[in-house]
Amino acid sequence: MRHLFLITALLCAPLPALAHKVVAGVFPSGDAIEGELGFSNGDMAAGTEVVVTGPDGAELGRTITDEDGFFLFVPTAPVAHTFRADLGAGHVAEVTMPAEEVAGILGAAAPATPEAEPPAAPAPAADAGASMAALAETRRRAIAEAVRNEIRPLRREIAAYREHNDLQTILGGIGYIVGLFGLGFYLAARRRLAG
Amino acid sequence: MHIVDGALSNAVVLGGGIAAAGGIAMGLRSLDIDRIPTAGVLSASFFVASLIHVPIGPSSVHLILNGLAGLLLGWAAFPALFVGLLLQAVFFGFGGLTVLGINTLNIALPAMLAWLIFGRLIGRGTPGQGALWGGLGGGFAIAGTTAMVALSLALSGDAFLPAAKLVFFAHLPVMVIEALLAGFAVLLARKVKPELFTRNAIA
Repeated sequence: MRHLFLITALLCAPLPALAHKVVAGVFPSGDAIEGELGFSNGDMAAGTEVVVTGPDGAELGRTITDEDGFFLFVPTAPVAHTFRADLGAGHVAEVTMPAEEVAGILGAAAPATPEAEPPAAPAPAADAGASMAALAETRRRAIAEAVRNEIRPLRREIAAYREHNDLQTILGGIGYIVGLFGLGFYLAARRRLAG
Repeated sequence: MHIVDGALSNAVVLGGGIAAAGGIAMGLRSLDIDRIPTAGVLSASFFVASLIHVPIGPSSVHLILNGLAGLLLGWAAFPALFVGLLLQAVFFGFGGLTVLGINTLNIALPAMLAWLIFGRLIGRGTPGQGALWGGLGGGFAIAGTTAMVALSLALSGDAFLPAAKLVFFAHLPVMVIEALLAGFAVLLARKVKPELFTRNAIA
Protein backbone atom coordinates (compact mmCIF):
# COMPACT_ATOMS: atom_id res chain seq x y z
CA MET A 1 0.00 0.00 0.00
CA ARG A 2 2.80 2.33 0.96
CA HIS A 3 4.63 1.42 -2.25
CA LEU A 4 1.56 2.12 -4.29
CA PHE A 5 1.26 5.51 -2.65
CA LEU A 6 4.92 6.24 -3.33
CA ILE A 7 4.56 5.26 -6.98
CA THR A 8 1.49 7.45 -7.30
CA ALA A 9 3.30 10.36 -5.69
CA LEU A 10 6.29 9.94 -7.99
CA LEU A 11 4.06 9.76 -11.03
CA CYS A 12 2.41 12.99 -10.09
CA ALA A 13 5.51 14.90 -9.05
CA PRO A 14 7.00 15.96 -12.40
CA LEU A 15 3.70 16.99 -13.94
CA PRO A 16 2.91 20.66 -14.28
CA ALA A 17 -0.04 22.10 -12.45
CA LEU A 18 -2.86 21.30 -14.80
CA ALA A 19 -5.66 23.07 -13.12
CA HIS A 20 -4.55 26.66 -13.15
CA LYS A 21 -4.87 29.67 -15.28
CA VAL A 22 -2.04 30.36 -17.70
CA VAL A 23 -0.29 33.71 -17.36
CA ALA A 24 1.90 35.17 -20.08
CA GLY A 25 3.36 38.61 -20.62
CA VAL A 26 5.80 40.32 -22.98
CA PHE A 27 7.69 43.57 -22.51
CA PRO A 28 10.53 45.43 -24.25
CA SER A 29 13.95 44.62 -22.85
CA GLY A 30 16.76 46.54 -24.54
CA ASP A 31 16.95 45.40 -28.14
CA ALA A 32 14.90 42.24 -27.51
CA ILE A 33 11.42 41.26 -26.47
CA GLU A 34 11.40 39.58 -23.10
CA GLY A 35 8.48 37.50 -21.98
CA GLU A 36 7.46 35.21 -19.21
CA LEU A 37 5.22 32.20 -19.18
CA GLY A 38 3.74 30.20 -16.35
CA PHE A 39 0.74 29.29 -14.27
CA SER A 40 -1.16 31.59 -11.94
CA ASN A 41 -0.04 29.63 -8.86
CA GLY A 42 3.59 30.63 -9.44
CA ASP A 43 4.82 27.55 -11.33
CA MET A 44 6.79 28.86 -14.29
CA ALA A 45 6.91 26.99 -17.59
CA ALA A 46 10.52 25.84 -18.07
CA GLY A 47 11.84 24.58 -21.39
CA THR A 48 8.64 25.32 -23.28
CA GLU A 49 8.85 26.19 -26.95
CA VAL A 50 7.32 29.55 -27.88
CA VAL A 51 6.33 30.07 -31.50
CA VAL A 52 6.49 33.65 -32.74
CA THR A 53 4.26 34.68 -35.63
CA GLY A 54 3.62 37.90 -37.48
CA PRO A 55 0.22 39.52 -38.10
CA ASP A 56 -0.19 37.48 -41.32
CA GLY A 57 0.35 34.20 -39.45
CA ALA A 58 3.80 33.61 -40.94
CA GLU A 59 6.30 32.18 -38.48
CA LEU A 60 9.01 34.68 -37.47
CA GLY A 61 10.95 32.33 -35.23
CA ARG A 62 10.95 30.15 -32.15
CA THR A 63 12.42 30.46 -28.71
CA ILE A 64 12.64 28.29 -25.59
CA THR A 65 11.88 29.43 -22.03
CA ASP A 66 14.58 29.17 -19.35
CA GLU A 67 14.04 27.50 -15.96
CA ASP A 68 12.25 30.60 -14.63
CA GLY A 69 9.81 30.68 -17.52
CA PHE A 70 11.48 33.67 -19.18
CA PHE A 71 12.17 33.87 -22.88
CA LEU A 72 13.95 36.35 -25.15
CA PHE A 73 13.25 37.11 -28.77
CA VAL A 74 15.13 39.60 -30.93
CA PRO A 75 12.70 41.17 -33.42
CA THR A 76 13.86 41.98 -36.94
CA ALA A 77 10.74 43.58 -38.45
CA PRO A 78 8.53 46.30 -36.92
CA VAL A 79 5.31 44.27 -37.09
CA ALA A 80 3.04 42.94 -34.36
CA HIS A 81 4.57 39.83 -32.78
CA THR A 82 2.29 37.09 -31.48
CA PHE A 83 3.79 34.62 -29.00
CA ARG A 84 2.03 31.30 -28.63
CA ALA A 85 2.95 28.37 -26.40
CA ASP A 86 1.25 25.06 -25.70
CA LEU A 87 1.67 24.01 -22.08
CA GLY A 88 -0.17 20.75 -22.59
CA ALA A 89 -3.54 19.44 -21.43
CA GLY A 90 -5.54 22.26 -22.92
CA HIS A 91 -3.43 25.10 -21.60
CA VAL A 92 -2.47 27.47 -24.39
CA ALA A 93 -0.92 30.88 -23.87
CA GLU A 94 -1.11 33.55 -26.52
CA VAL A 95 0.11 37.11 -26.13
CA THR A 96 0.73 39.81 -28.73
CA MET A 97 3.09 42.78 -28.71
CA PRO A 98 1.72 45.57 -30.92
CA ALA A 99 3.71 46.88 -33.91
CA GLU A 100 4.46 50.29 -32.31
CA GLU A 101 6.20 48.70 -29.34
CA VAL A 102 8.26 46.43 -31.59
CA ALA A 103 9.20 49.47 -33.69
CA GLY A 104 10.24 51.23 -30.48
CA ILE A 105 12.58 48.34 -29.65
CA LEU A 106 14.07 48.36 -33.13
CA GLY A 107 14.49 52.14 -32.95
CA ALA A 108 16.30 51.86 -29.61
CA ALA A 109 18.47 49.01 -30.86
CA ALA A 110 19.61 50.57 -34.15
CA PRO A 111 21.94 53.31 -32.79
CA ALA A 112 23.20 51.08 -30.00
CA THR A 113 24.71 48.34 -32.19
CA PRO A 114 27.64 50.23 -33.83
CA GLU A 115 28.73 51.66 -30.49
CA ALA A 116 28.83 48.26 -28.87
CA GLU A 117 32.01 47.24 -30.71
CA PRO A 118 34.81 49.82 -30.00
CA PRO A 119 35.36 49.66 -26.22
CA ALA A 120 37.69 46.62 -26.54
CA ALA A 121 40.82 48.73 -27.18
CA PRO A 122 41.83 51.47 -24.71
CA ALA A 123 41.12 54.74 -26.47
CA PRO A 124 43.96 57.27 -26.96
CA ALA A 125 43.52 60.75 -25.53
CA ALA A 126 42.65 62.17 -28.94
CA ASP A 127 39.21 60.65 -29.11
CA ALA A 128 38.35 60.79 -25.43
CA GLY A 129 34.93 62.05 -26.43
CA ALA A 130 34.16 58.84 -28.31
CA SER A 131 35.42 56.80 -25.38
CA MET A 132 33.20 58.76 -23.05
CA ALA A 133 30.29 58.05 -25.34
CA ALA A 134 31.14 54.35 -25.39
CA LEU A 135 31.49 54.31 -21.61
CA ALA A 136 28.18 56.07 -21.23
CA GLU A 137 26.65 53.52 -23.52
CA THR A 138 27.99 50.50 -21.58
CA ARG A 139 27.03 52.15 -18.31
CA ARG A 140 23.56 52.86 -19.65
CA ARG A 141 23.20 49.22 -20.61
CA ALA A 142 24.40 48.01 -17.23
CA ILE A 143 21.91 50.29 -15.48
CA ALA A 144 19.10 49.14 -17.73
CA GLU A 145 20.01 45.52 -16.99
CA ALA A 146 20.15 46.18 -13.23
CA VAL A 147 16.79 47.94 -13.26
CA ARG A 148 15.25 45.07 -15.19
CA ASN A 149 16.53 42.58 -12.65
CA GLU A 150 15.30 44.75 -9.80
CA ILE A 151 11.75 45.08 -11.07
CA ARG A 152 11.42 41.46 -12.18
CA PRO A 153 10.19 40.14 -8.79
CA LEU A 154 7.86 43.13 -8.55
CA ARG A 155 6.41 42.36 -11.94
CA ARG A 156 5.87 38.76 -10.94
CA GLU A 157 4.23 39.83 -7.72
CA ILE A 158 1.85 42.10 -9.59
CA ALA A 159 0.98 39.26 -11.97
CA ALA A 160 0.33 36.96 -9.00
CA TYR A 161 -1.72 39.66 -7.29
CA ARG A 162 -3.87 40.13 -10.37
CA GLU A 163 -4.66 36.40 -10.30
CA HIS A 164 -5.48 36.47 -6.64
CA ASN A 165 -9.10 35.71 -5.83
CA ASP A 166 -10.26 37.51 -2.74
CA LEU A 167 -13.21 36.77 -0.51
CA GLN A 168 -15.39 39.43 -2.10
CA THR A 169 -15.12 37.78 -5.52
CA ILE A 170 -15.98 34.38 -4.08
CA LEU A 171 -18.91 35.71 -2.07
CA GLY A 172 -20.08 37.65 -5.13
CA GLY A 173 -20.09 34.46 -7.18
CA ILE A 174 -22.02 32.58 -4.53
CA GLY A 175 -24.45 35.48 -4.37
CA TYR A 176 -25.06 35.18 -8.10
CA ILE A 177 -25.72 31.45 -7.74
CA VAL A 178 -28.16 31.98 -4.87
CA GLY A 179 -29.96 34.69 -6.84
CA LEU A 180 -30.12 32.62 -10.01
CA PHE A 181 -31.50 29.54 -8.30
CA GLY A 182 -33.84 31.72 -6.27
CA LEU A 183 -35.19 33.09 -9.55
CA GLY A 184 -35.59 29.53 -10.84
CA PHE A 185 -37.40 28.64 -7.65
CA TYR A 186 -39.72 31.61 -8.04
CA LEU A 187 -40.53 30.74 -11.66
CA ALA A 188 -41.17 27.08 -10.78
CA ALA A 189 -43.35 28.07 -7.83
CA ARG A 190 -45.38 30.50 -9.96
CA ARG A 191 -45.91 27.82 -12.58
CA ARG A 192 -47.07 25.40 -9.93
CA LEU A 193 -49.47 27.96 -8.41
CA ALA A 194 -50.91 28.79 -11.82
CA GLY A 195 -51.34 25.14 -12.75
CA MET B 1 -9.56 20.50 -16.00
CA HIS B 2 -10.68 23.78 -17.50
CA ILE B 3 -9.69 23.92 -21.14
CA VAL B 4 -8.85 27.51 -22.12
CA ASP B 5 -9.91 29.58 -25.12
CA GLY B 6 -8.02 28.78 -28.28
CA ALA B 7 -6.82 25.30 -27.31
CA LEU B 8 -9.46 23.40 -29.27
CA SER B 9 -10.51 23.30 -32.89
CA ASN B 10 -13.72 25.09 -33.87
CA ALA B 11 -15.55 21.87 -34.66
CA VAL B 12 -14.93 20.51 -31.15
CA VAL B 13 -15.99 23.80 -29.53
CA LEU B 14 -19.17 23.93 -31.61
CA GLY B 15 -20.05 20.27 -31.09
CA GLY B 16 -19.43 20.58 -27.36
CA GLY B 17 -21.63 23.66 -27.20
CA ILE B 18 -24.53 21.95 -28.93
CA ALA B 19 -24.24 18.80 -26.79
CA ALA B 20 -24.03 20.90 -23.61
CA ALA B 21 -27.12 22.89 -24.64
CA GLY B 22 -28.98 19.60 -25.09
CA GLY B 23 -27.83 18.41 -21.67
CA ILE B 24 -28.87 21.68 -20.04
CA ALA B 25 -32.32 21.46 -21.65
CA MET B 26 -32.72 17.88 -20.38
CA GLY B 27 -31.53 18.97 -16.95
CA LEU B 28 -33.92 21.92 -16.73
CA ARG B 29 -36.84 19.65 -17.63
CA SER B 30 -35.90 17.17 -14.92
CA LEU B 31 -35.31 19.91 -12.35
CA ASP B 32 -38.53 20.09 -10.37
CA ILE B 33 -39.22 22.56 -7.60
CA ASP B 34 -38.07 20.28 -4.76
CA ARG B 35 -34.62 19.88 -6.17
CA ILE B 36 -33.84 23.49 -7.11
CA PRO B 37 -32.27 24.23 -3.69
CA THR B 38 -30.13 21.08 -3.93
CA ALA B 39 -28.97 22.14 -7.39
CA GLY B 40 -28.17 25.63 -6.12
CA VAL B 41 -26.12 24.34 -3.19
CA LEU B 42 -24.17 21.92 -5.39
CA SER B 43 -23.60 24.61 -8.00
CA ALA B 44 -22.14 26.87 -5.30
CA SER B 45 -20.02 24.00 -3.93
CA PHE B 46 -18.63 23.33 -7.39
CA PHE B 47 -17.91 27.03 -7.88
CA VAL B 48 -15.91 27.26 -4.65
CA ALA B 49 -14.30 23.80 -4.84
CA SER B 50 -12.02 24.90 -7.67
CA LEU B 51 -10.37 27.34 -5.27
CA ILE B 52 -9.45 24.63 -2.78
CA HIS B 53 -5.98 23.59 -3.83
CA VAL B 54 -4.57 20.32 -2.64
CA PRO B 55 -0.77 20.49 -2.62
CA ILE B 56 0.78 17.40 -4.22
CA GLY B 57 4.56 17.52 -4.24
CA PRO B 58 5.78 20.66 -5.98
CA SER B 59 2.45 21.18 -7.68
CA SER B 60 -1.16 21.34 -6.64
CA VAL B 61 -4.54 20.30 -7.99
CA HIS B 62 -8.00 21.53 -7.16
CA LEU B 63 -11.21 19.75 -6.31
CA ILE B 64 -14.01 19.46 -8.84
CA LEU B 65 -16.90 17.81 -6.99
CA ASN B 66 -18.76 16.90 -10.17
CA GLY B 67 -19.33 13.30 -9.01
CA LEU B 68 -21.25 14.42 -5.95
CA ALA B 69 -23.33 16.85 -8.03
CA GLY B 70 -24.12 14.10 -10.54
CA LEU B 71 -25.07 11.53 -7.89
CA LEU B 72 -27.52 13.92 -6.25
CA LEU B 73 -28.87 15.67 -9.34
CA GLY B 74 -28.75 13.33 -12.33
CA TRP B 75 -29.45 15.27 -15.52
CA ALA B 76 -29.89 18.44 -13.47
CA ALA B 77 -26.10 18.38 -12.96
CA PHE B 78 -25.82 19.99 -16.41
CA PRO B 79 -27.46 23.33 -15.55
CA ALA B 80 -25.95 23.36 -12.04
CA LEU B 81 -22.39 22.81 -13.28
CA PHE B 82 -22.92 25.16 -16.23
CA VAL B 83 -23.78 28.00 -13.86
CA GLY B 84 -20.71 27.21 -11.75
CA LEU B 85 -18.45 27.13 -14.81
CA LEU B 86 -19.90 30.36 -16.22
CA LEU B 87 -19.21 32.21 -12.98
CA GLN B 88 -15.72 30.69 -12.69
CA ALA B 89 -14.94 31.91 -16.20
CA VAL B 90 -16.26 35.41 -15.49
CA PHE B 91 -14.91 35.86 -11.96
CA PHE B 92 -11.69 33.87 -11.91
CA GLY B 93 -10.81 33.56 -15.59
CA PHE B 94 -10.81 29.74 -15.41
CA GLY B 95 -11.46 28.31 -18.86
CA GLY B 96 -13.20 30.83 -21.09
CA LEU B 97 -16.52 31.85 -22.54
CA THR B 98 -16.10 30.30 -25.99
CA VAL B 99 -15.17 26.90 -24.52
CA LEU B 100 -17.93 27.01 -21.91
CA GLY B 101 -20.01 24.43 -23.79
CA ILE B 102 -17.27 21.83 -24.16
CA ASN B 103 -16.13 22.36 -20.55
CA THR B 104 -19.70 21.87 -19.33
CA LEU B 105 -19.96 18.68 -21.37
CA ASN B 106 -16.59 17.37 -20.13
CA ILE B 107 -17.52 17.87 -16.50
CA ALA B 108 -21.29 17.28 -16.44
CA LEU B 109 -21.54 14.24 -18.74
CA PRO B 110 -19.37 11.97 -16.53
CA ALA B 111 -21.35 13.28 -13.53
CA MET B 112 -24.59 12.27 -15.22
CA LEU B 113 -23.10 8.86 -16.15
CA ALA B 114 -22.03 8.35 -12.53
CA TRP B 115 -25.67 8.93 -11.55
CA LEU B 116 -26.88 6.46 -14.22
CA ILE B 117 -24.49 3.75 -13.01
CA PHE B 118 -24.28 4.35 -9.26
CA GLY B 119 -27.37 6.48 -8.56
CA ARG B 120 -29.65 3.53 -7.78
CA LEU B 121 -27.02 1.68 -5.80
CA ILE B 122 -26.32 4.45 -3.28
CA GLY B 123 -29.94 4.42 -2.10
CA ARG B 124 -29.97 0.69 -1.39
CA GLY B 125 -28.62 -1.49 1.40
CA THR B 126 -27.01 -0.13 4.52
CA PRO B 127 -25.70 3.45 4.61
CA GLY B 128 -22.18 1.96 4.54
CA GLN B 129 -22.82 0.13 1.28
CA GLY B 130 -24.40 3.25 -0.15
CA ALA B 131 -21.32 5.24 0.84
CA LEU B 132 -19.06 2.74 -0.91
CA TRP B 133 -20.99 3.10 -4.17
CA GLY B 134 -21.06 6.86 -3.69
CA GLY B 135 -17.29 6.89 -3.36
CA LEU B 136 -16.91 4.81 -6.51
CA GLY B 137 -19.24 7.22 -8.31
CA GLY B 138 -17.20 10.22 -7.14
CA GLY B 139 -13.95 8.68 -8.41
CA PHE B 140 -15.58 7.52 -11.63
CA ALA B 141 -16.79 11.04 -12.49
CA ILE B 142 -13.23 12.45 -12.24
CA ALA B 143 -11.81 9.59 -14.33
CA GLY B 144 -14.54 10.20 -16.92
CA THR B 145 -13.75 13.91 -16.99
CA THR B 146 -10.03 13.28 -17.59
CA ALA B 147 -10.98 10.96 -20.46
CA MET B 148 -13.32 13.60 -21.91
CA VAL B 149 -10.64 16.31 -21.67
CA ALA B 150 -8.13 14.04 -23.38
CA LEU B 151 -10.69 13.21 -26.07
CA SER B 152 -11.40 16.90 -26.71
CA LEU B 153 -7.67 17.52 -27.09
CA ALA B 154 -7.28 14.45 -29.32
CA LEU B 155 -10.09 15.63 -31.62
CA SER B 156 -8.26 18.95 -31.89
CA GLY B 157 -5.07 17.30 -33.06
CA ASP B 158 -3.15 16.21 -29.95
CA ALA B 159 -2.20 12.54 -29.73
CA PHE B 160 -4.81 10.87 -27.52
CA LEU B 161 -2.79 8.50 -25.35
CA PRO B 162 -0.05 10.86 -24.09
CA ALA B 163 -2.61 13.59 -23.39
CA ALA B 164 -4.94 11.15 -21.64
CA LYS B 165 -2.11 9.74 -19.52
CA LEU B 166 -0.92 13.19 -18.52
CA VAL B 167 -4.35 14.39 -17.43
CA PHE B 168 -5.30 11.08 -15.81
CA PHE B 169 -2.20 10.68 -13.65
CA ALA B 170 -2.23 14.31 -12.59
CA HIS B 171 -5.76 13.80 -11.30
CA LEU B 172 -5.23 10.51 -9.45
CA PRO B 173 -4.96 12.32 -6.10
CA VAL B 174 -8.11 14.30 -6.86
CA MET B 175 -9.86 11.05 -7.71
CA VAL B 176 -8.95 9.56 -4.33
CA ILE B 177 -9.92 12.69 -2.41
CA GLU B 178 -13.21 13.10 -4.26
CA ALA B 179 -14.07 9.42 -3.82
CA LEU B 180 -13.60 9.84 -0.05
CA LEU B 181 -15.59 13.09 -0.06
CA ALA B 182 -18.47 11.63 -2.07
CA GLY B 183 -18.46 8.49 0.07
CA PHE B 184 -18.69 10.40 3.33
CA ALA B 185 -21.24 12.83 1.90
CA VAL B 186 -23.47 9.91 0.91
CA LEU B 187 -22.95 8.29 4.32
CA LEU B 188 -23.93 11.46 6.12
CA ALA B 189 -26.91 12.13 3.88
CA ARG B 190 -28.12 8.54 4.20
CA LYS B 191 -28.09 8.90 7.99
CA VAL B 192 -29.59 12.35 8.41
CA LYS B 193 -31.70 12.79 5.28
CA PRO B 194 -32.44 9.38 3.75
CA GLU B 195 -35.30 10.71 1.61
CA LEU B 196 -32.72 12.49 -0.58
CA PHE B 197 -31.98 9.14 -2.25
CA THR B 198 -35.37 7.49 -2.28
CA ARG B 199 -36.13 9.08 -5.63
CA ASN B 200 -32.99 7.54 -7.07
CA ALA B 201 -33.90 4.14 -5.66
CA ILE B 202 -37.31 4.24 -7.32
CA ALA B 203 -36.35 5.82 -10.61
